[in-house]
Amino acid sequence: MSHSVDLIDVEMTFGGTHAVRMLSAHVEGGEFFSILGPSGCGKTTVLRLIAGFINPTSGRVLIGGKDMAGIGADRRPTSMIFQSLALFPLMPVWENIAFGLEVRKVPKAERRRRAEELLELIALPGYGDRMVHELSGGQKQRVAIARALAVEPQVLLLDEPLSALDLKLRQHMRAELRALQKRTGVTFIYITHDQSEALAMSDRVAVMSAGVLQQIATPRELYSSPATPFVAKFVGETNEFVGKVSKTADGIAMVDSPHGSFAGRAGDAVAVGNAAAVYVRPEAVTVSREARPDSLEARADRIEFEGAVAMLHATSRAGQPLLAAIPNQLLAQAPVAGETVWLSFAPDEALVLAHA
Amino acid sequence: MTAQIELEGATRSRVGLDWVAKAAALLPRIVFAGYMILFFTYLFLPLVVMGAATFNTSKFPTVTPWLGTTLDWFAALWADHAMWRALGLSLLIALAVIAIALPAGTAAALFLTSLQPRARTFFYALMVSPLLTPGVAIGIATLVLWHQLGVGGGTFLIVLAQASFITSYVMLMVVARLQRFDRVQEEAAAGLGASRFMIFRRILLPYLRPALLAGAFIAFLQSFENYNTTLFVRGTETPLTVYIATKVRTGLTPTVNALGLILIGLTILAAIAVEINRRRSTARTPA
Repeated sequence: MSHSVDLIDVEMTFGGTHAVRMLSAHVEGGEFFSILGPSGCGKTTVLRLIAGFINPTSGRVLIGGKDMAGIGADRRPTSMIFQSLALFPLMPVWENIAFGLEVRKVPKAERRRRAEELLELIALPGYGDRMVHELSGGQKQRVAIARALAVEPQVLLLDEPLSALDLKLRQHMRAELRALQKRTGVTFIYITHDQSEALAMSDRVAVMSAGVLQQIATPRELYSSPATPFVAKFVGETNEFVGKVSKTADGIAMVDSPHGSFAGRAGDAVAVGNAAAVYVRPEAVTVSREARPDSLEARADRIEFEGAVAMLHATSRAGQPLLAAIPNQLLAQAPVAGETVWLSFAPDEALVLAHA
Repeated sequence: MTAQIELEGATRSRVGLDWVAKAAALLPRIVFAGYMILFFTYLFLPLVVMGAATFNTSKFPTVTPWLGTTLDWFAALWADHAMWRALGLSLLIALAVIAIALPAGTAAALFLTSLQPRARTFFYALMVSPLLTPGVAIGIATLVLWHQLGVGGGTFLIVLAQASFITSYVMLMVVARLQRFDRVQEEAAAGLGASRFMIFRRILLPYLRPALLAGAFIAFLQSFENYNTTLFVRGTETPLTVYIATKVRTGLTPTVNALGLILIGLTILAAIAVEINRRRSTARTPA
């Protein structure tokens, strides 16, 4: 089993600005763990803290239960794949891959043998003597992975390694990375701003915003039970109705908003009289041409066909944009632009979260 | 009939216009070609005259009057032991200057690029100032300082005085290349376990190699041809530039021209070698 990683009350400030605030997280050994967030949210800083390129202002970083304070990047059981890959342009591919072994004074013949094995693993046999600039984007990507794996790290840190690739290749590499992680059993900590990437590959995902950890959960939990308004809005599409809690009962809370009163499952810290918002996914919204009880009147603006579903964009009478997914088989009866529609949803498909 | 005449007239005037347009289009090229001819004449005529004078039997380095063609001056050069000693000293000094300027200039460049922008501007100005200081001033300053410490002029001071400004050249060349270095490579290497020294030896040094070679080359040329700084710190030593200058006073013979011709020949050969090497290496790796 590979090493676990623990972050305990980690704070990181750069000249007065908080890049990371009081972050605590536990990553299981052998887990595929993603950190998801918009650019500038501090996720790369977290990765660099684990790698040891920077030291936390306060708090502790543990790898395999061992405190990493005072241990530099060159002596940690981690290996990092950089966004820019940072392959060594003046070395042939095999020397790139075997660089970590060269550092460890492994004899040359052994290094070469290991490099060939890893080239086999990344499906680039015979590429050892090529120069880096002779490779395609996807091939460079794989060489970077092989170089990081050559030192047999306990923890592999990946900083948006797929962002430079085109869509098809990215999806292919996603599957390859996931398979590689399962095969090697190495703990992967994967940084991305692409939610579909995080949801598709990870065992668990941590969502960060402005240096603050929002939630750590499995991809399905993250989508069905977001813990904070930020997560609800960042992961997937959602409708938001901000208002005040009027009553709570049996885990269901009622929120009075300018658009009407809506019920939903109550999240943490939802109390009567407090500001809260109701979140409901577009696919949980039912569209009707007739008024129903507890439904919201809106004007249909346009329908965007997205392949698997079509998305109805509408505007409530109070002027709020709304989203509703329309399954393909119902597309023929879908409302046209300008038509008045009524939107409704079941309370157990909606979520009420305390709103700052 | 009238119509035909008109037509001819039109054709003629069009031809005339054509000619003017062509000349107008050609004019910039003619001016440019003329300028280039003048420029290269200005640049190379002295060298051609100097080279030709080597083969004149006249005791003075001149092409007029041409007293007869000879190769005797090469033989005279070969027999000029003082000249060979001066050349040997110049080469020795140049090598010593490279040995100091290359590591010192590289270190300065690494230091410079690691600084915060403000400190960098200051240090940059400080390092470049020797290049803006007259060579004479550097020579005198070096002499005065070391005189206080009881060290007189000589080979040692020549090397120090020259290295004090040639280091800046090396620094500039290394800085130029360092600025294009992808610093993430250093982190990548450190992340794989490489020590600072290993990163320097295996990543940074190979990357800087072209700049270091160019720096060494510039340092060599700067040292070899230096006269004004050297003059003040030479003590009783006579490097080649000083030797030639002395000959001008005591009676110049075309042996100096022969030497000049040989140096030009060697320079051209070296330039060709460098270019061939450069093309070969660019074919291997991207810029």
